Amino acid sequence: MIDKVFDWLDARTNYREILAPVRNRVLPHGPSWWFTSGSCLLWVFVIELVTGFLLMMTYSPSTNSAWASVHFIEQSSAGAFIRGVHYFASHTLIILFGFHVVRVLIAGAFRAPRELIWITGLFLFPLILMLAITGNPLSAGQHGMAQIEVEGNIIGSTPVIGPILQRILIGGDEVGHLTLTHLHFLHVALLPFLVIGLLVLHVTQVYKHGITNDNIGETSQPAMPYWPYQTIRNMTVLAIVVGTIAGLAWTRGAPLDAPADPNLSLMPRPEWYFRCLFELRRYFTGEWEFVATLIIPLTVMLFLLSLPAIDRVFPRRASLVLRSLIVVALVGSWAGLTWMSYATDWHDAEYLASESDSSDLADRARELADHQQIPPEGAAALLHADPKTQGPLLFARHCASCHSHVDPQGKGIAAAEPSAPNLFGFGTTTWIEGMLDPERIASVHYLGKTELAEGEMVSKMQEMFDGVEGDELTKLREQLHKVARTLSAEAALPAQSEGDKQDADVIASGAKLLAGKLHCIDCHHFREQGELGTAPDLDGYGSRAWLLGMISDPQEKRFYPDDHNDRMPSFAKDQQHPDRNLLNPRELQLLVDWLRGEWYVPSASTTLESPATPIPEMAER
Amino acid sequence: MNESISNLPGLDAASMNRRAALKWLSRLMASACSAVIAIPGVSYILTPLLGRRDQHAAVVQRVARWQDIPVSRPMQFPIVGNRRDAWTVHPDEVVGRVWVVRQPGQSASPAEGQVLAFSTLCPHLGCAIQQDAKSGQFVCPCHKAAFQHNGEKVSDQKLGRKNHAPRGLDALECHVVQDDTTQEWWVEVTYEKFEQGLTKMVKKV
Ligand code: FES
Repeated sequence: MIDKVFDWLDARTNYREILAPVRNRVLPHGPSWWFTSGSCLLWVFVIELVTGFLLMMTYSPSTNSAWASVHFIEQSSAGAFIRGVHYFASHTLIILFGFHVVRVLIAGAFRAPRELIWITGLFLFPLILMLAITGNPLSAGQHGMAQIEVEGNIIGSTPVIGPILQRILIGGDEVGHLTLTHLHFLHVALLPFLVIGLLVLHVTQVYKHGITNDNIGETSQPAMPYWPYQTIRNMTVLAIVVGTIAGLAWTRGAPLDAPADPNLSLMPRPEWYFRCLFELRRYFTGEWEFVATLIIPLTVMLFLLSLPAIDRVFPRRASLVLRSLIVVALVGSWAGLTWMSYATDWHDAEYLASESDSSDLADRARELADHQQIPPEGAAALLHADPKTQGPLLFARHCASCHSHVDPQGKGIAAAEPSAPNLFGFGTTTWIEGMLDPERIASVHYLGKTELAEGEMVSKMQEMFDGVEGDELTKLREQLHKVARTLSAEAALPAQSEGDKQDADVIASGAKLLAGKLHCIDCHHFREQGELGTAPDLDGYGSRAWLLGMISDPQEKRFYPDDHNDRMPSFAKDQQHPDRNLLNPRELQLLVDWLRGEWYVPSASTTLESPATPIPEMAER
Repeated sequence: MNESISNLPGLDAASMNRRAALKWLSRLMASACSAVIAIPGVSYILTPLLGRRDQHAAVVQRVARWQDIPVSRPMQFPIVGNRRDAWTVHPDEVVGRVWVVRQPGQSASPAEGQVLAFSTLCPHLGCAIQQDAKSGQFVCPCHKAAFQHNGEKVSDQKLGRKNHAPRGLDALECHVVQDDTTQEWWVEVTYEKFEQGLTKMVKKV
């Protein structure tokens, strides 16, 4: 019955005759494991096509939506796996390509009449690399976008046509929507189209001329049909390769960086397969750089293309030596340059720090995107509004010329020359206790390097401890601890909210000490007692409102009016023109929230179905 | 094949001329049809070169009050403007950053104050220049191009290696101006972008 159907089909299409070369293919010297590289490459490319089509169903190229859509793919059913396969298969393609070229070189399989196989194959290589280059930035992640920007500039520095090509690729002179739509077009339409065209030519030529294996063993075998003797070998190798790809995709998945943002800079590095060119560029500077990025790769390519002609000049023996030398030189210089490039980076603390920052940022971006909704402006907006991300940047830019923000282990943002208090943990009980300690208050971490080191706060604290010993000292410390608790409760820090409730008694008695026995209100204002203008207000000390006011204008009466202020500038004094201030209202709030450890932390119970309202909590440090 | 075609009974010697003409005509019409698609096609691809160019009007911005800028210590400020990205306009976004270095010198009035401003874009390939406190230089994180605080590139000998910078930092126009209403002194920078990778500063158009 089924045979009849096929007969019917054959009578109309003649498919048996058309497929005959495939079905009756004969290997004159028998099958070989060496022959598996080509077939493996072909099928991995097919996997790329299929997974690529699937990803296209969801991906949306624009700076607002690219990252968000890729993040959505990661959440789709099997999406992370498919994207992982697409990612790892692309690396596999490049590695296999290397093997394949080496095999063909050693086998001398480029000789007449197989020149066209060799040439089409060689042209496939840059196309595959271009597929990788155009694919990496599509998720609009930090690394990808930084890479395409640099790659664009590299193209741009090519003499004459460079700038034109760069403009077309980038779609203007800044990376944006058009960069993504152009890359998308190249990646999913033009390049695959060219690759398929070349592949058809390549494979039909292979069928016409057969596989050859002049120099590799097993040549004494008798002729054998391709199917299934070669096929089983091909499939064994393919199974191993696909297994590896699937394993990596399943366990590690494709990376997803934080959404690109020009404010968050990074030290861009190319992918591993371009590390050699990156390293090569070190040796050519200024206008000679295109020698490394263009002339050298082009020369290698032209040399390889003309190999069928060059090879003819040499006797067979010498040719084998020559080809082995080429393989050693290519693989050796590639490996050497790559190694040198990585070795430099592994010893570069700055680079390592930038990479670890970038991976933290990626985690944060995914965390925010998982638990909060991505707004129409795109995922980068989530990071813009995130105190945890923006705080350190703002602090480093505006505060760190005087203030440090380093934890007891010394980690954090250190001022080049600290001349103001270390603000790590500002407003916490521990921080305030340091302020109330005669030694610590005079150290670099508090007022030591400020004009206030000579001021009353420091001297009063030292007087308070003068000659106090034994039990008295313990008692004084206890009292000061209570005061510290009281003041710290004023800050209403999210991390301490539980503790503040539990310690209500301590806090109340601290308030009494503060107003009474310890005479704080002689200078400070606290709960309707004391005066403003002589020392900072203790009402709401360290609270959000207090900090906003303090940073906006430290000269205000509540804080350090007149000559009480040391060198702190007013960051947002001008209410009429907020844009003329050093910090705009948004930045100011982000900075304050960060100082207070007030940012979104997903609680264990948050799930995708019920996105929690952002409950700020102090992150564990 | 060819023979069998030319031996067809319908073809006599007279029709051969006609046949050649028809061939040419077909080719011509095919070319015309292709051109109808190809010419606009190429023009469409070249949009970034031919199409509407967003004029890169320089952004003139007061970056900071004169008194807030320390002497000889580079400070970085953002330049805020409307950033146009193909079909979207992002209002009030950071469009660039500048390094501002106030020059030492006891000027009686800020009006005579000397201040330099540089784009943070590396003239090499456009990474963001950082300040290296240790060496007192500007250093690019990408290929380690190094510049002095006056914007000049550090010489290869002094650096002990090749400096990738093709030119010094891009110096921007920069003045100290007084606000009409508040009478405060401000540093005003004219922010522009320049082509990367060239030995001379060429404005991006
Ligand atoms: S981009 Fe700055 S040194 Fe290369």
